Amino acid sequence: MSAQPPFKKQHLLDPGFELTLRPMRYPQFYEMYRAAIRNTWTVEEVDFAPDVNDLKSKMSPAERHLVHRLIAFFATGDSIVSNNLVLNLYTHINAPEARMYLSRQLYEEALHVQFYLTLLDTYLPDPEERNRAFAAIENIPSIRRKAEFCFRWIDSVQDLKRLETRAQRRQFLLNLICFACCIEGLFFFAAFAYVYFLRSRGLLHGLASGTNWVFRDESGHMAFAFEAIRCVREEEPGLFDADMQGQVVEMLEEAIQCEIAFAEDVLGGGVAGISPRDMRQYLEYCADQRFAQLGMPRQYGASNPFDFMQLQDVQEVTNFFERRVSAYQVGVQGEVGFDEAF
Amino acid sequence: MHPLDSRADDGAVTVSTSDSEITMNASTAVASATACPSVSEASGGDAFALTAPHSPTQMRVTKRNGRSESVDLAKIVRAVTRSAEDLHAVDPMRVALKTIGGIYDGASTRELDELSIRTAAALTAEEPEYGFLAARLLASYIDKEVSGQEIQSYSQSVARGAELGIINERLRDFVALNARKLNDAIDPLATRRFEYFGLRTVYDRYLLRHPEQRKVIETPQYFFMRVACALGGGHLGETLELYRLLSALEYVPSSPSLFNAGTAHEQLSSCFLLDSPLDSLESIYDKYADVAKLSKYAGGIGLSYSRVRSRGSLIRGTNGHSNGLVPWLKTLDASVAAVNQGGKRKGAACVYLETWHADIEEFLELRDNTGDDARRTHNLNLANWIPDEFMRRVEADGEWSLFDPKRVPQLVDLWGADFDTAYRQAEADGLAARTIKARELYARMLRTLAQTGNGWMTFKDRCNATSNQTARPGNVIHLSNLCTEILEVTSDQETAVCNLGSINLARHVRDGAFDFAQLAATVAIALRQLDRVIDLNFYPIDTAAAANRKWRPVGLGVMGLQDVFFQLRLAFDSAESQALSAQIAEHIYFHALEQSCALAAALGAHPGFAETRAARGELQFDHWPNARASIAVAHWDALRARIRDSGLRNSLLIAIAPTATIASIAGCYECIEPQVSNLFKRETLSGDFLVINRYLVEELKTLGLWTAEVRDAIKQAEGSIQGIAAIPERLREIYRTVWELPQKALIDHAAARGAFIDQSQSLNLFQENPNIGRLSSMYMYAWKAGIKTTYYLRSRPATRIAKTTLGIAVAGTPAAPSAPEATSAVVCSLENPEYCEACQ
Repeated sequence: MSAQPPFKKQHLLDPGFELTLRPMRYPQFYEMYRAAIRNTWTVEEVDFAPDVNDLKSKMSPAERHLVHRLIAFFATGDSIVSNNLVLNLYTHINAPEARMYLSRQLYEEALHVQFYLTLLDTYLPDPEERNRAFAAIENIPSIRRKAEFCFRWIDSVQDLKRLETRAQRRQFLLNLICFACCIEGLFFFAAFAYVYFLRSRGLLHGLASGTNWVFRDESGHMAFAFEAIRCVREEEPGLFDADMQGQVVEMLEEAIQCEIAFAEDVLGGGVAGISPRDMRQYLEYCADQRFAQLGMPRQYGASNPFDFMQLQDVQEVTNFFERRVSAYQVGVQGEVGFDEAF
Repeated sequence: MHPLDSRADDGAVTVSTSDSEITMNASTAVASATACPSVSEASGGDAFALTAPHSPTQMRVTKRNGRSESVDLAKIVRAVTRSAEDLHAVDPMRVALKTIGGIYDGASTRELDELSIRTAAALTAEEPEYGFLAARLLASYIDKEVSGQEIQSYSQSVARGAELGIINERLRDFVALNARKLNDAIDPLATRRFEYFGLRTVYDRYLLRHPEQRKVIETPQYFFMRVACALGGGHLGETLELYRLLSALEYVPSSPSLFNAGTAHEQLSSCFLLDSPLDSLESIYDKYADVAKLSKYAGGIGLSYSRVRSRGSLIRGTNGHSNGLVPWLKTLDASVAAVNQGGKRKGAACVYLETWHADIEEFLELRDNTGDDARRTHNLNLANWIPDEFMRRVEADGEWSLFDPKRVPQLVDLWGADFDTAYRQAEADGLAARTIKARELYARMLRTLAQTGNGWMTFKDRCNATSNQTARPGNVIHLSNLCTEILEVTSDQETAVCNLGSINLARHVRDGAFDFAQLAATVAIALRQLDRVIDLNFYPIDTAAAANRKWRPVGLGVMGLQDVFFQLRLAFDSAESQALSAQIAEHIYFHALEQSCALAAALGAHPGFAETRAARGELQFDHWPNARASIAVAHWDALRARIRDSGLRNSLLIAIAPTATIASIAGCYECIEPQVSNLFKRETLSGDFLVINRYLVEELKTLGLWTAEVRDAIKQAEGSIQGIAAIPERLREIYRTVWELPQKALIDHAAARGAFIDQSQSLNLFQENPNIGRLSSMYMYAWKAGIKTTYYLRSRPATRIAKTTLGIAVAGTPAAPSAPEATSAVVCSLENPEYCEACQ
């Protein structure tokens, strides 16, 4: 590991392990890191008790199927994101403040894995069933297909030890876009939609409240990735050319295909109020948002078909008799004083 | 090669395991095998083509009687149209089409009904009338469920409940005797007053259910009539008056009264305040049992722990040292979580601790989400019981001594000057366990508040000095309750109890003015009802029965104050608002005293009357130097004289509870609070719903501003309209959210109103991004203003979820703003509403 001399103008994807924090080149990443810390939560705060009752007595076999598939996906999905983070993002995004954020993200991904691990343990008391669910990648073709999609993009930059050429930087950027747009921005968004669908019907509040926090974290991860992409493009404007845009369009379409196959599996039993057709429209709608975030034209022109997703867009007011409020902050600063305006 | 590859290789062997087994347990496997054959095919090989194409025309539904028929669009449209009468903005076809789009082949008509309700509800954010449509669809769904069990009238519903053993004999006999008149009085159309959220809450949790089948056996109007009959004192006239008040949503008793009125276990009280366990193992364990028994029947618990010795204190019996409060509270935490209130809601308790207790710092960490989980209590709420001496030392930047209660047992039962003297004496005698900077502890208390919302600030001396019950030494208030609005004396023999009910102020506005005459009538009926609860109530523990007979306290409160301001177009922080809110409080207090005095004349004063300040002619506002009465002094003096003559039936009358659930039922804003947002979702056990400020929608419709763009803008701003330039400034001022109001206004309101509240009020305070400087100023101000108790400190998350359903440009997740950035973003959007970089 060698620190670069600070006087040379550096770019975010320049190879190396920069150590200099002042002057800070990307203070936005540091702010994101601090904001993330203020939102610390723990799995112990989530109450799963009502979920167990819902699963046992309120839900149809088709709905239980949906839930078990979802959890199986989440449990592996977050691990895959962690691996890519360590193997690729942390190596190549060369700013210490950005690596601080990535370290925090890595912790959050582990927390999410812990959350879904606890969920699976709670939802599936039978050890055999549990083992099968944890081996989702081997046992469940629709999850395996999504995982393979991810692996392909991880592998695509696996041999890159240093980003020396423009082609290599593009290769890396595609990996970054894949994780932000497809894995977090489509796979996870779709999975959250199922959870919010169930919650809109008053089901599985433990899953929903934990997912709320996971969603909040994931929103931060995406914001970081898009900001990183924006910085790279600003520093090297020609990188994101028509050719690359074409690859991004293809990539998102393939991700949608994977997710549709998953939808057909999870909704295979027939669930009133949500269909694979709606899910396709929702995915196209989300994909358009990703294109917009990348400054590209929309490809699908789809509108959001899920009214229940409006619910998670607005702030929560929780009655303490019923649920734990998730809005408090950690890391409050300041000194005692008596003349501040309030 | 990355780590996951190896797992994939190992697992390839086991691919053939049937997927369907993962999703189903044995008992349901048979049913599901037919319901979803496609799932079991998943393991066969053709992994991804699982569901038949979606084709609504050929779909069939299974009816409630088990027969199957094809889905008929016209039939659904007809059903929706019937319910949409008078709702002109509703498009029944839209609901019907969307419902059909969401149905799957083989669904039941029940599912179809549920789906149409949800579909309508989901459109509320666009047009509030869809919320009313959803409510009406739900009402007819409930009617079908009730009538499907051969229950066609109110009296039949009560008779069925009695047969099933869930209705008590008193109610059964009263209804049997008056069946015709009661059945005639039922007003089914009154159910149309409900908003969807309210009716859903009533259906999910309040209507009585068949013990085995779990179907509801009462409609919403039968439910109100059941409560009225049970609490009407056996008088038909009073019963019908009370029913009218309830079905008009003008007054709503507390949840325990609604849950349990007329049932086999008639526990109707909301709050119980338990004195601290004595400093012994036996007493600590007895208290756990008391808490469990009270929790079981839907009561919220306040419990002091100030008498229990602190960590390191010597235990003579074993010659060991105490581990302090935390292990006891950990056990209490588990106990509270274990007791589920009849499946209706989880038990809840708040522990109070005096600020001088040597374990105060560990106490303040109990709700942290980091650190040793063995020293954390995730279910308990925490409150500080703060002596004035502490606040004075904070102000003077002095020292503060912490004591082991075993060495200073007298401090718990002293307040005011007696406490100050005893505390200083204990310091002088060198009894302190430790001495710290008062400000250091104050900052710690505030940090706990900001980080957990818990650790409520309640002021011991002010609570005692202003209470009607504390005229004699020995009658001491040791804590408040779970929601910080009840203040009653406790001791080892006395457990304080309070019965609550709240007036919906939103329904006391007539022709653009607040209707004080209607308010007076409501107070009279409500107070008599609350007083009856004292005699009817089932007391789970003896110390509660004893205290309630002696003091007969009740807590009449309000909700929907914000609705009044919206209806009268007053900004929350205006002088008019503050004056009106104080005037309302004064009228309620006046008429409550008047009614309680009349009851005393008829039935006798409460046994503890001679021990009260009222017996000496003192009333609440005598303790508030800045109180401004609007009722003529002559009227007040006449009332004082009558009270001296006849006494009062109730030692305490007024308490403003948070009204979280009953405000939802009544469809108004909670208690005395400003709105949190113009657009927000409510999470409850019955699912999440979108709530919209219908007053604002009306105003915007009038101005032609209720458009998709404005809706998106409101959503983007998390329910704020301050950045929307098209909306006139006057409206923007009225429709500020609590995050946009100066909190000083909330405290000033509370102080002005407090002169007429003989118990206290659940006063939440709000800080978007709290910091210690602002909080310390705010709570110091509240203490000086004479506020007795404060409740939650509410803040907002530091980072937010990505918005998924907004239009294109705003879809990007903004980087989470740091505290100063968030503030500047607000300022910026105020000054430059058209375009704001910081907000994108």
